[in-house]
Amino acid sequence: MTDSTTEASAEDTEGNSAPVETPADDLVEVNPLRDPRDRRLPRVPEPCALVVFGVTGDLARKKLLPAIYDLANRGLLPADFVLLGFARRDWGDGDFESLAKKSAQEHARTEWNEDVWARLSGDIMFVPGSFDDDDAFDTLAKTLEDLSESHGIKGNAAFYLSIPPAMFPTVLQQMERTHLASNAHSGGWRRVVVEKPFGHDLDSARELNKLVDDVFTANDVFRIDHYLGKETVQNLMALRFANQLFEPVWNANFVDSVQITMAEDVGIAGRAVFYDATGAARDVLQNHLLQLLALTAMEEPVEFTAEAIQTEKLKVLRAITLPQDLTRYAVRGQYDQGWQAGERVVAYTGEKDVPADSTTETYAAVRLGIDTRRWAGVPFYLRTGKRLPRRVTEIAVLFKKAPHLPFSHTDTEELGHNQLVIRVQPDEGVTLKFGSKVPGSLMEVRDVSMDFLYGEAFTEASPEAYERLILDVLLGDSTLFPRNAEVEASWRVLDPLEEFWAGQQPEKYRAGEWGPKASDEMLGGDGRAWRRP
Amino acid sequence: MTTLWDTTGSAVVKALAAERRTGGGVTSGLALTLVVVMEEKDTADVEAAVSIAASRHPMRVLMVIRHNIEAPVPRLDAEVSIGGRYGPGETVVLRMYGRLALHAESVTLPLLAPDAPVVAWWYSETPEVIAYDPLGVFADRRITNAIRDADPAASLHQRAADYAPGDTDLTWTAITPWRAALAAAFDTVRVRTNAVTVFGNPVDPSAQLLAGWLSSRLGIAVPVEKAEGKYISSVSVDFADGHQVTLRNDGHKLVMVRPNQADSIAPFPSRSTGDLLAEELRRLDPDESYADALGAVTGLTGLNDRPAVRTHIWHDPALANES
Repeated sequence: MTDSTTEASAEDTEGNSAPVETPADDLVEVNPLRDPRDRRLPRVPEPCALVVFGVTGDLARKKLLPAIYDLANRGLLPADFVLLGFARRDWGDGDFESLAKKSAQEHARTEWNEDVWARLSGDIMFVPGSFDDDDAFDTLAKTLEDLSESHGIKGNAAFYLSIPPAMFPTVLQQMERTHLASNAHSGGWRRVVVEKPFGHDLDSARELNKLVDDVFTANDVFRIDHYLGKETVQNLMALRFANQLFEPVWNANFVDSVQITMAEDVGIAGRAVFYDATGAARDVLQNHLLQLLALTAMEEPVEFTAEAIQTEKLKVLRAITLPQDLTRYAVRGQYDQGWQAGERVVAYTGEKDVPADSTTETYAAVRLGIDTRRWAGVPFYLRTGKRLPRRVTEIAVLFKKAPHLPFSHTDTEELGHNQLVIRVQPDEGVTLKFGSKVPGSLMEVRDVSMDFLYGEAFTEASPEAYERLILDVLLGDSTLFPRNAEVEASWRVLDPLEEFWAGQQPEKYRAGEWGPKASDEMLGGDGRAWRRP
Repeated sequence: MTTLWDTTGSAVVKALAAERRTGGGVTSGLALTLVVVMEEKDTADVEAAVSIAASRHPMRVLMVIRHNIEAPVPRLDAEVSIGGRYGPGETVVLRMYGRLALHAESVTLPLLAPDAPVVAWWYSETPEVIAYDPLGVFADRRITNAIRDADPAASLHQRAADYAPGDTDLTWTAITPWRAALAAAFDTVRVRTNAVTVFGNPVDPSAQLLAGWLSSRLGIAVPVEKAEGKYISSVSVDFADGHQVTLRNDGHKLVMVRPNQADSIAPFPSRSTGDLLAEELRRLDPDESYADALGAVTGLTGLNDRPAVRTHIWHDPALANES
């Protein structure tokens, strides 16, 4: 009794600053204005801050900052939002703002709107400091705490680590020391976004996962694989699980083989040091190609939630088998000098900062199997490379030939496999290739393709992958992000390949060609051929 | 572009097929057919709107212009074009004279894209009862525009009385940014709402629909108070814990005023008719939230439970004028 009286009198003396207790029946659980049937209203994240480490880097300038402007322009950022940059520069808020403005103007997808920028620019801040500087991190923590009140971000913050993996331990340690990563301490949520590479083999990936997951909770770690943010990749799930037409033939009874290609026409463009230590298999195959494979081959998730989809993807990744004969079914190559698109280009070993005797691969192709009832016996051919004729990413499902053809052999000479091709980029869409009669008095059957072009059927410009992924991070939706177990399962596939390749010379291929000969022979030996994308 | 004078519906179908072959166009991308009911004087406005909407939704557009019904001899003139000034889609302008205007569906039915949804849009005045217009009966979605009716204030009541699932109005589309901003303002509040007031023009259909929507979601009466401005100028919300939030339209900005916090400013671009039309075409199923808001404005209930299919009611304006 006495306690409560003293408390009450203390409140009285403090005057009107004491909070008024809200009666329980005045509280509401959900926002009454949000209605799942009302699909006109956009999904907008809660008030929050986005803290970017390494904000002066290439990725931040070309992708991240423009994506944030695009989100603001589309009205998808909360009213209370702060963009906080952290880097070792002697800068004020204004310097950072002008950098952000310049990169948004240069690289944003949506048109420039001065009003939108004027609003955003008031919410852009900068904290200078190096990663091993305790004072700088104390300032950062203090700044976020202050913003909680002044900008109403309520303790919510996402940290984007746009920094080399070598810096992770230092930064994460600092965040732990200053309680930046703690949900409980901040009173809101704290999330972290990590870019690839997620390690360079299973052991290093485990170490990295442990490091990040120890500081943040595993559910608050978002690993960005920007391929998964692409509209067509998400459409793959709609295609497979919303339609009755494809799923019945999506198995070893009907599918002959699957080819997944990610080709780039560019060389290594200024990434020599990183690339020479990494190679095509670690850079692309381990993450992008295996993720595309997992989405193509996974079983139907029990519901369309992050957890259910990750469960199915993980099952597939764990069922992947490597071929017995690696000499035949695992090929790596390195581009030699050649001509590409009418221009002379130098060999990989002639690129700036690449040692002349480098054995790093710029091309990798491998045949994988999946040991499940659905896919047993179906080869999955994966390939990726640089300096190939064109930039293209696609998933091609090749169906078996009809068991019996009532036509004479000469009638169907030009008939190939039926194919369903999911074009991830460019010209996002789906192609169905099937046999059709050639007009005329003869019965001749040849392949024709039917195209569904995303850009034509839905002419609304698809959001850039980073836009979608950043929005998902702020909303806390991890559907499109690989979990740590997936990363580890992928390394488990790649590690034996890297071990086999170690010390071998990669096969040379001329720049501007579709990879080394050995890669064509790999399919030729199976009686198949690479599709020309 | 092919122009046909004094022609028939079948000749238009042939001309469209020919234009497609020579233009190199393919059917693969057609998502819907949009039937625009308009008057000759609206041509420029409709063209501008359609070209914006067509760049976001691949569609076939049929523009139906009815000329003097009293003309003694019925006649059909048509223009067929693919691409060009109407945007990337296929466009057919149909000018109907005389009694043909009462049988417009006989021309449009064979021109509808196979098995794709049909959307009817009355650019100017909507018929009092949509079932009077056969073009509305065949449409899966119907878009009206109360602000262009002779008496916008009374128009919503007529729309509610005549409502069938699949109807929407552009005055409703226009307030999506307001609704998004209000929903975002409520996101961080966990207490009951005591009172809401919409300030603006009390007879503006958009202001009425915004108040109707708030009232249908919050379960309290929401008045529209007279204030400066033609449409909606601000909305103020009183919460049960005593704090008040005001959202104010400040030209191209939306300002949110909250106690103990700096004003938050969001972009609030003005949208053209084309933008509104494009938003409407995004969804081809009934809009339940609109029905709820319309019901709250007019006091009618059960709008969502009405049958979605209309039956054509024969309505001859010549006879109607006599009686």
